[in-house]
Amino acid sequence: MISQVLEALRRGSDAGDACWRRSERTTIAFESGRLKSAGVVEESGLNVRVVKGARVGVAGTTATDAPPADVVSRALASAALGEPLAIEFPSATTFPSVSTESAPAKAASVGVLADIGRGLVERLSRPDAQINVTVEREVAETTIGNTVGGQGSYRATGVSVSADIARVTESDVLMVYDHYVGVGLPEAADLDAIVDSIKTRLGLALTVVPASSGSLPVVFSPMGLSAILLPLEEALSGKTLIQGISPLQGKVGEPVFAEGLSIADDPTLPGRAASYPFDDEGVPAARLPLVERGVPRNFVHDLETAARLGGAQRSTGHGHRGVFGKPRLSYSNFIVGSAPSSRHPWSLGGGLLEGIKDGLLVDDLIGVGQGNVIGGAFSHPVALAYRIQNGKITGRVKDAAVAGNVYDLLKKIGGWGDDGRWVGTRWSPSLLLEGVSVAGR
Amino acid sequence: MRDRLESALRASRADYTEIRVERTWATGVSFRGRRLETATASEDVGGCVRVLSKGRGWGVAAFTSLGQLPAMIERAQELSRAIVLDEPIRLAEVTPQKAEALLDLDGDVRGVSLADKTKLIQAYNGEMLSVSGDITDTIANYHDEVTEYWFVNSEGTSLHELRPEVTLSGTAIARKNGTIEKALESIGLRKGWNSVHDFAAGFKQAGERAAKLLRAPTVRGGHYPVILDPEMAGVFIHEAFGHLSEADFVYENPQAREMMTLGRRFGRKVLTVGDNGAAPGLRGTMPFDDEGVPTQDSVLIKEGELVGRLHSRETAARMGERPTGNARALSFRHPPIVRMTNTYIGNGEGTFADLIRDVKLGVYACSAFGGQTMLESFSFTAAYGHMIRDGQVAELVKDVVLAGNLFQTLDSIERIAGDFRWNQIGGGCGKAGQAYLPVTEGAPHVRIEDALVGGEVE
Repeated sequence: MISQVLEALRRGSDAGDACWRRSERTTIAFESGRLKSAGVVEESGLNVRVVKGARVGVAGTTATDAPPADVVSRALASAALGEPLAIEFPSATTFPSVSTESAPAKAASVGVLADIGRGLVERLSRPDAQINVTVEREVAETTIGNTVGGQGSYRATGVSVSADIARVTESDVLMVYDHYVGVGLPEAADLDAIVDSIKTRLGLALTVVPASSGSLPVVFSPMGLSAILLPLEEALSGKTLIQGISPLQGKVGEPVFAEGLSIADDPTLPGRAASYPFDDEGVPAARLPLVERGVPRNFVHDLETAARLGGAQRSTGHGHRGVFGKPRLSYSNFIVGSAPSSRHPWSLGGGLLEGIKDGLLVDDLIGVGQGNVIGGAFSHPVALAYRIQNGKITGRVKDAAVAGNVYDLLKKIGGWGDDGRWVGTRWSPSLLLEGVSVAGR
Repeated sequence: MRDRLESALRASRADYTEIRVERTWATGVSFRGRRLETATASEDVGGCVRVLSKGRGWGVAAFTSLGQLPAMIERAQELSRAIVLDEPIRLAEVTPQKAEALLDLDGDVRGVSLADKTKLIQAYNGEMLSVSGDITDTIANYHDEVTEYWFVNSEGTSLHELRPEVTLSGTAIARKNGTIEKALESIGLRKGWNSVHDFAAGFKQAGERAAKLLRAPTVRGGHYPVILDPEMAGVFIHEAFGHLSEADFVYENPQAREMMTLGRRFGRKVLTVGDNGAAPGLRGTMPFDDEGVPTQDSVLIKEGELVGRLHSRETAARMGERPTGNARALSFRHPPIVRMTNTYIGNGEGTFADLIRDVKLGVYACSAFGGQTMLESFSFTAAYGHMIRDGQVAELVKDVVLAGNLFQTLDSIERIAGDFRWNQIGGGCGKAGQAYLPVTEGAPHVRIEDALVGGEVE
């Protein structure tokens, strides 16, 4: 497939590249504890980019039965309108060896996947709540190539298992969720972790207590950390940088955050669902330090943002492509805090609660991503949060909101928990921040 | 194609089999500030097979390689057989449909060059940028598509449709002394190229509004009589009430079923709410849903009383009600689930001026930025608002957020004007991983006796 497209590109354009991906995703969903349907989605698609007269164009198709010249001619029409851009495709090179595939995951039957889900439903069900469990397995093959000889292909598997439990009473809605994501099937310990996590967090949430108001110590659990990290994810993106709106612009090498903050992106971690040997533009994967001991070091880039920034900037290997549209920046495994370590015995709060007289543990917030994210300001009602009193969780807090600015708050880190874990493709422990504004109602 | 699909159907041994195939041609152009981000054309082709057998579950197989159709039917049957149910899934009976339903393409977008489309949205983008130096950034998007659609099932339904769609949107971002404000313009139509040429004024207004909002005060928080403009009223009824009327929310959940018992009073006599997938030319309009059931006008609240809900064939059979033509799939990648189409608040009487004449101090909430609902609690942000003083529209205010309890708020709707209009905004509805499905809403101006408006409370 790719070789025909590259041939058409060589004939009709100055340069170009293509990304072809075939995937098969199997989904088993238990709704309200019942398995009623199973589905599979088989998809293959081609994304093509051309350079013609220094202008860049892009086109995509899933009509893989059509001749490759069709999609190339549409990419050329797109290039005729495109802005001039000195994009440089990577030439032939060797890629790191990254483990992205699991044979048992690939071979698992629908029955095996359904058994995983059924096991969780049985272990989590309780008479006063509705439980939903979804098990998904993806098998994919990615091939890239360009007109300067760069090429590569790899296979990957991905498995995700998610469970949520909802308890609705006349005056209260309580939802607790957890999940597993990996290249391979979950091991017994992974499923135990989901069950422990949901049972513990649900159990502690059954008692409702009033929230304190004021400037308080707040522990953000690995799942609750999204609102704090989202502004940093935006600020460390090459896209934000070239638009001139990153608060970290011009701050590389300067201490911006507390020494305790380190962030890296690492697509080379073995067995992680977001890992790859090269990105969708054929750039080799490598670990990229983003913030080291409080000091910003790098931004993520793809070929376009690197070209627009100019100078010595090269793509960092973070170009991601769907079938349609142009490549866009994406993180792989986003590592916050210390490096991933082996599994730790799990506890809510990760050992950070001890010294807290009165505070809050935030596990989930409403509306993360809405508002002025890039400025670092956040203000969210809690979806799931617990009150901490004298070093212990005393119950769930409803009708409270937390607010602050991450650039102020991250100047001082109260501590990292010993509960580091994966939340999707992000790894982090719990984080204690002092002086977060909490408004109870 | 239909012959090919019908012969493939005959190979299935399942009790019920359906095949849906779509071929979509789409173009998209997007500007950021003065810079063209992308102008691209794409083609998306694929199908979805769904099968059901007695005592077994749904087997669903979606695919992009149409040549694999026989193998995918086999695959769906395997998946279905792997699920054993004690309580069988039944489908409500419907009359098989045979139709060639080609919606008017209204200027086939496939015949228009990418350059002309780029020129159009560039001009609209320019309307926003030229308002004043306060407009520091814009986002302007053009998207169109035509989908050719085939649906056949083992009960004899056989459909061939052509569905056009075009959406334009603009965001004007104004910045001054550290304050950032934005305003949106958005158009979404189930129409074509002929219908997109008259929107310059709307984009210009978005630019002007963003600039004016820089100087507008924040609304003072508190309880007010609130008038919703038709757009805000429409989005409110979709988000806060519409989703509760989707039968898949209630059919497996006893608590929800109790909350949504037919006959329950939801509002005063003035309030009528419905969903009409058959209204012509709107974003949520289709002749048939994705189970081949004709769309219709379904009344949900009649004179304040809950009288209906939206169904797929499965939820209708389960609840002993009739299918309403509301089973929709985002694309061939997904099975159909219960969705809204064009959701509306029915017309009342009188004018907007009549509605505000006796309001001493109130808030006029206009155009929706968005909202979030968690069952009966909701929070909605208007794009902008005006104070109402002594029966007149007064100064522009910003940060108009309405929050409250759905049931109390519906019951607090006291007057509805006679100036109904359908929204023609883009965007769409997200549910269960299927986002964004084309829907729209319609409403007249609506007056809520008492609502909590957020903002700074003194």
